[in-house]
Amino acid sequence: MENSNAFRYEGEKAWCPGCGDFAILSSVEKALTRAGKKPEEVLTVSGIGQAAKLPHYLKTNGFNGLHGRALPPAFGAKTANHRLTVIVTSGDGDVYGEGGNHFIHAIRRNTEMTLIVHNNQVYGLTKGQASPTSDKGMKTKLQPDGVILTPFNPLAVAIALGAPFVARSFSKEIDLTAELIGQAMECGGFALIDVLQPCVSFNKVNTYQWYQQRAYRLGPEHDPADRMKALAKAFEWDEKIPLGVIYKNPRPGYVATVIGDAKPLVERDVDMEKIKGLMARLY
Amino acid sequence: MPQTTLTLGGMAGQGLVTVSDLLLKLLARAGYRLLATQDYMSRVRGGHNFIQICIDADPVFAPQPAADILAALDRRSMDEHLRELTAGGIVLHDSDHTPPTVNGVRFAGVPMNRFANEAGNPVYANAVALGAIAALLEIGMAGVDALLREHFGKKGNEAVEKNIAAAQAGHRHIARYYAETTRPLQPVKQKTRMLINGAQAIGLGMMAGGLRFVSAYPMSPSTSIFNYVTANAAELGILSEQAEDEIAAVNMALGASAAGVRTAVTTSGGGLDLMAEGISLAGIAETPVVIANIMRPGPATGLPTRTGQEDLDLALNIGHGEFPRFVFAPGTAEEAFYTAIHAMNLADKYQVPVFLLGDQQLVDSYVTLDRFNAARVRFKNYLADPAKLPDPYKRYSLTPNGVSPRLPYGTPGARVMYDSHLHEEDGHITEDPGIVRAMVEKRFRKLKGMAKEPGAPTWYGAKKPLITLACWGTAYGAAREAVDALNGAGIKAGMAHFNRLAPFPSGEARALLAKKETLHTVEGNFTGQLARLLARETGIRTGVPVTRYDGRPITARFIIDRLKEVHGNGKFKRVSL
Repeated sequence: MENSNAFRYEGEKAWCPGCGDFAILSSVEKALTRAGKKPEEVLTVSGIGQAAKLPHYLKTNGFNGLHGRALPPAFGAKTANHRLTVIVTSGDGDVYGEGGNHFIHAIRRNTEMTLIVHNNQVYGLTKGQASPTSDKGMKTKLQPDGVILTPFNPLAVAIALGAPFVARSFSKEIDLTAELIGQAMECGGFALIDVLQPCVSFNKVNTYQWYQQRAYRLGPEHDPADRMKALAKAFEWDEKIPLGVIYKNPRPGYVATVIGDAKPLVERDVDMEKIKGLMARLY
Repeated sequence: MPQTTLTLGGMAGQGLVTVSDLLLKLLARAGYRLLATQDYMSRVRGGHNFIQICIDADPVFAPQPAADILAALDRRSMDEHLRELTAGGIVLHDSDHTPPTVNGVRFAGVPMNRFANEAGNPVYANAVALGAIAALLEIGMAGVDALLREHFGKKGNEAVEKNIAAAQAGHRHIARYYAETTRPLQPVKQKTRMLINGAQAIGLGMMAGGLRFVSAYPMSPSTSIFNYVTANAAELGILSEQAEDEIAAVNMALGASAAGVRTAVTTSGGGLDLMAEGISLAGIAETPVVIANIMRPGPATGLPTRTGQEDLDLALNIGHGEFPRFVFAPGTAEEAFYTAIHAMNLADKYQVPVFLLGDQQLVDSYVTLDRFNAARVRFKNYLADPAKLPDPYKRYSLTPNGVSPRLPYGTPGARVMYDSHLHEEDGHITEDPGIVRAMVEKRFRKLKGMAKEPGAPTWYGAKKPLITLACWGTAYGAAREAVDALNGAGIKAGMAHFNRLAPFPSGEARALLAKKETLHTVEGNFTGQLARLLARETGIRTGVPVTRYDGRPITARFIIDRLKEVHGNGKFKRVSL
């Protein structure tokens, strides 16, 4: 373990003992260290939830905003200063529930950033209600007869929208997650990494054992460039859950398309001559 | 009252805007002062839309309740506006539509459709109307000719020549058959002016104020600001993004702002509602953002394309929890330009949300103005110099004036943390009551500086008035004209206009309005929002507010009529409007 990594926050972390968030945090630290990033070059953005506390526990720039609203400020910051490496790290309720609309349009917008979703299939911070990814039948205080809604399939949605990089990991697989984050940061567009993660306090169904019995690593026989095969993998769930790069669809990102080689917005100055030029045209 | 008021009416999709744009250019280039107010329905084709153009040698501040010339491109426009004509008024209409007989109104029938078809296509009816209107105002064809060449030039020679032929036919027809039915404009000294609407004025002000990032979701009547900025974004190095909803729009802007650029969002009532939580985030995260809210009437969808001033209470209070903010409501397009610059600067200086309230009347109305004075534009970068800050950097350091030095993301050696929770000085989440108290107090210490910024209400009219009006935003024009009319009739009147509503300039308001015997607010809402604000902030009680809430602009006549209702006819008999 790289105990001396520049991203390590030594203070108290307000997560439950045994929470998968600790492992995901380690993966993020590892990936950033391996990529040779400096803390000041990185911005971590989150919404609200247990997972969304992560920017407080990582020594990078941070934006801990509103529930469901992690992706829009990440877009704003990335386009204002595209030299930043932007990582969005938040939960399934945050990104797939409250922020579902932004999830769809962030993939369409294809801004160069990595979205890591801590997917524990339950609401943790609000103490155990169903999330968009809860399996059918899961009983909670608000779903006393079990969840009847069809679970949201983030991977299938992302593939359908043509995301450049779609991957899945399991929180315990720290190295795999770090490796996937590394690849995601290099993919040149919007990357989704859905990280399955037990909630030791509220999810009594999808436990460590539950995931471990089902999760397997995709081998070289899987071709992530094949969209239909990727979709088939995205729908594997009840018996076997694939981990690794599910889908790859390299295409130019928003910054490359809209800003290109130009200076970051934050380095640009007001040109009063141009303002005068606009006035002259109003005649 | 302006020399001549012309109402141009037709269906949506009939090309009314083209005629009006060309006519406004023609008049502006001839040196006239104009105010053109648009009245349109929330539909793309059909219905009834009109544009009222007030023409004078001096600035015109308010739309008029009557017209001297009605140019009716369809039958309905003639029927709807006939009764608004002044004595001796002229109706220009298509000869196909037989006009009714009305005393004191002159009719000028032009076979618009026939001339258009003779020119080659029914679409040229607009050019026929333009030529005919020019002739009614006794403007020669030379200017029309040049304008049509400029306007249709990029569509090719055929379009140019056919439009000119159509315009000439209309012009000639008036000259030949209605030579006595004209209303010549008095010549004015020609001067180069801008022909600008409120949307352009706000957009231009934001850009002059250093705008780098704008995000919005289209919503009438705010969209025209977004359109104008976007059209010029590439040239000015601005990034413009159409967001998936208003929630995304405001949150995008906050992210960009945290990265160190000046940002704005544009929206209208319902969109502002959706931004509420984001605005609250701007409050606690101390993230600069300018929110241009262009008001339209009604809760929910209301009247999408109409005007009103119903969102003052909303702008003053939107967002849960407590945080300081600025709220501005300029009265004219010219004021809107300088206010927008001011707003961009203040957002950055105090790291607070700044509201710029406009309305449909402001953004859609064209006026002629002298070029804005670029020398008056002061751009100052309020981002901190990292070399002068202690290490480690603390985003929310407790300072005497409440403003913490702000560094953008990416500053070498600095960790910049923005947080939506109550937080420590370095942005780290906390629940410590001592730190919480210190942070709340720090944020509100900004108010002292904010209150000292320019923003006093302005006074217009008599020094010791018998009747005093108080207004905010675009009610300015009508109130000003009402004050002129009252003073003209020997009734001493004056008015205070509030551009800044938060922090409320209480001291200045008291100085202007305390002990005024007859004091009414003039507002485009039902409940009298300024009246209540004045009472709350200064203890000053106003009389029955003069309120308009039918989606139409306030006029001076509307104000005088309401004053008559309240105080009786007697005193106002001599007021002419």
